[in-house]
Amino acid sequence: MQHVANLADRRPQPEETAIEVAGLSHVYDGPDGGVPALQDITMSVGSGRFIVVVGPSGCGKTSLLMMLAGLRAQSRGTITCYGRPIPDPDPKRVGVIFQEASLFPWLTAVENVEFPLSLRGDPKDERRRRSEAMLELVGLQGFGARYPHELSGGMKQRVSIARGLIQDPPVLLMDEPFAALDEQTRMTMGHELLRIWNATRKTVVFITHSLTEAVYLADEVLVMSARPGRIIDRIPITLPRPRTYEMMATDVFGKLRDRIWQQIRQVP
Amino acid sequence: MTKTQIITARLALLALVLGLWQVLPSNNVINPLLLPPLGDVLSMLWTLLGQPRVHEAIATTALEVLVAFIIAVPVGATLGVIIAESPYLTAIFKPILFYVFSVPKSIFLPLFILVFGIGFPQKVAYAAFTTGFVVLMSAMAAVESVKADHILVARSYGATRGQILTRIYIPSMMPILLETIRIAMIFNFTGVMIAEMYASRTGIGHLIAGWGENFQMQQLFAGVILLAATAILFNEIIRSLEARCSTWRT
Ligand SMILES: Nc1ncnc2c1ncn2[C@@H]1O[C@H](COP(=O)(O)OP(=O)(O)OP(=O)(O)O)[C@@H](O)[C@H]1O
Ligand SMILES: [Mg+2]
Repeated sequence: MQHVANLADRRPQPEETAIEVAGLSHVYDGPDGGVPALQDITMSVGSGRFIVVVGPSGCGKTSLLMMLAGLRAQSRGTITCYGRPIPDPDPKRVGVIFQEASLFPWLTAVENVEFPLSLRGDPKDERRRRSEAMLELVGLQGFGARYPHELSGGMKQRVSIARGLIQDPPVLLMDEPFAALDEQTRMTMGHELLRIWNATRKTVVFITHSLTEAVYLADEVLVMSARPGRIIDRIPITLPRPRTYEMMATDVFGKLRDRIWQQIRQVP
Repeated sequence: MTKTQIITARLALLALVLGLWQVLPSNNVINPLLLPPLGDVLSMLWTLLGQPRVHEAIATTALEVLVAFIIAVPVGATLGVIIAESPYLTAIFKPILFYVFSVPKSIFLPLFILVFGIGFPQKVAYAAFTTGFVVLMSAMAAVESVKADHILVARSYGATRGQILTRIYIPSMMPILLETIRIAMIFNFTGVMIAEMYASRTGIGHLIAGWGENFQMQQLFAGVILLAATAILFNEIIRSLEARCSTWRT
C-alpha cells in the first residue's frame, strides 16, 4: 500500500480550506421563472473534514454536489476548491461517487477502477497495479476479473468507491452512495468508508437520507431546508474517533440524531 | 427437455421436411413439375454452380449487396446518431421518420428506375435506401440506450468529448449496433433481390425471376436454396459475434 503511504505524507493541514462556497443560488430553467433549487448557500469545508449533508428529498443536495464537482454551472455565487474556481470537472481535485454504482457493464471490476487512469493515458501495467491496490483497499482483492453483473450490490459500490479514489483526488463527493444497499451492508460500508477515509484523509462531502449514518460518519452535519435549499443548521458531531457501532446506543448519539430530526421535521 | 434432446428434435424435423421433399414429388403425391424432388434440385444447383452465367450473376449480386451495405450502414448510423444527439433534430425528424418508416419502400422502386436506370447503381441505391432507413432508426434507439449516468461518471473523470464517444457511446451501443448490422444485411439482401426481380439484366434475383416466369422449377428451387443458405450463414456469423458481447449485456 505504498500508494496510501504517499498520501499520508502530504496529509493536509487542518486549517487549510478545501471547499469554499459563497452566496450560491441556482434556478433551473423552466416555465414561470424556473425552479429555484438552491438559495444563498455559504459553507466552508476544512481540508480533511468529513461533512455530511442531509435534507428533504428534492431540496437540491444533488444539484449542490454537481456544482461542487464542476459538472453543472450555478446561477449565482462562487465555488472555490483549493483556492481556484471549478468551472469544469477536475479529477485532480475532486472525485465523485454517485448514488448508483454506475459501473460500466462492458468492463471488468479492475478495468472499471482503472478507467479514470486510462482516460489520461497512463501506461497499462502501472494503472493495472494501482487499480489492483485500490480493489484491495476496498476489500475486493481477487474480484478484479469479474464483470459488474457478477458482483453484489455492496461489491459494486465498493468498486465505484475504488474508481473514485484511484486518481487520488483530495476531495471526495459522495451522493447517497449507500442508498441502494440493505441496512446491514450499509452499516458495514459506512464503517469501511471511515477506515478508508482514515487511511487517506480526504475531504469528504457526503449526502445521505439516513440520520444514523449522518451522525455516525460526520465531523459536521449540514441540514438543508426544503426547496429552494438553504442551510438551516450546522451540527458539529463531537463523538470521538474511531467511531464504533456501540456509540449508536449512547445518549449523545441519540441527542444528535434527534436534533437533526427536529430540524428536518420543522421544514414546512 | 435437455439441450441434446432439443437439437435432436430439430434435426429430426429438418430431416423429415427434406425427406418429404424428396419422397412426395418422386411418388407423384405432389406434382414434380411444381415441386421437383430435392435430389433433382440439388443436382441442378451443382450444375448451375458450374455455369459462368451463374458465376457472373452471383458476383454482381454479391457486389451490389456489399456496396449497398458499405454505404447504408455508416451513413444511416451517423445520421441516426446525429439526430438522436440533438434534441432539436429529434423533435423535428423523429415523427417524420416514423411516418416514412411505415410506408413500404418498394413503392419507390419505379422512382429509382427513373433516376438511376436498371443497372448496378439503381440496385445499390435502392438497397442502400431501404437499409439506411432501418440503420438510422436503430442507431437512434442505440443512442437512447446510452445511460446518462455513465456519461456523467466519465465527465466527472475529465473525459473529453472524443473519449465519451469512444469509451462510453460505442461500447454502450454495441449490442444494438451488432443487432442492427444483422438486420441491415437482411433488409439489404431483400432490397437487392426485389430490385433485381423487378427489372434487371443480371444478378441472382434476375435469374430467379426468369426461371419462375419460364416455369423452370428445378432452377428456381436451386436458386432459393442458394440464397437461403447465404442469408442464414451471414446471420449466424453476426449472431455469434453478438453472443460474445452478451456477457455484459445484462
Ligand atoms: N436538470 C434539471 N432541470 C430542472 N430541474 C431540476 C433538474 N435537476 C433537478 N431539478 C429540480 O431541482 C430540485 C432539486 O433537485 P436535486 O436532485 O438536487 O434534489 P435532491 O436534494 O438531490 O433530492 P433527492 O434527495 O430526492 O435526491 C428538484 O425539485 C428537481 O426537480
Ligand atoms: Mg439527489
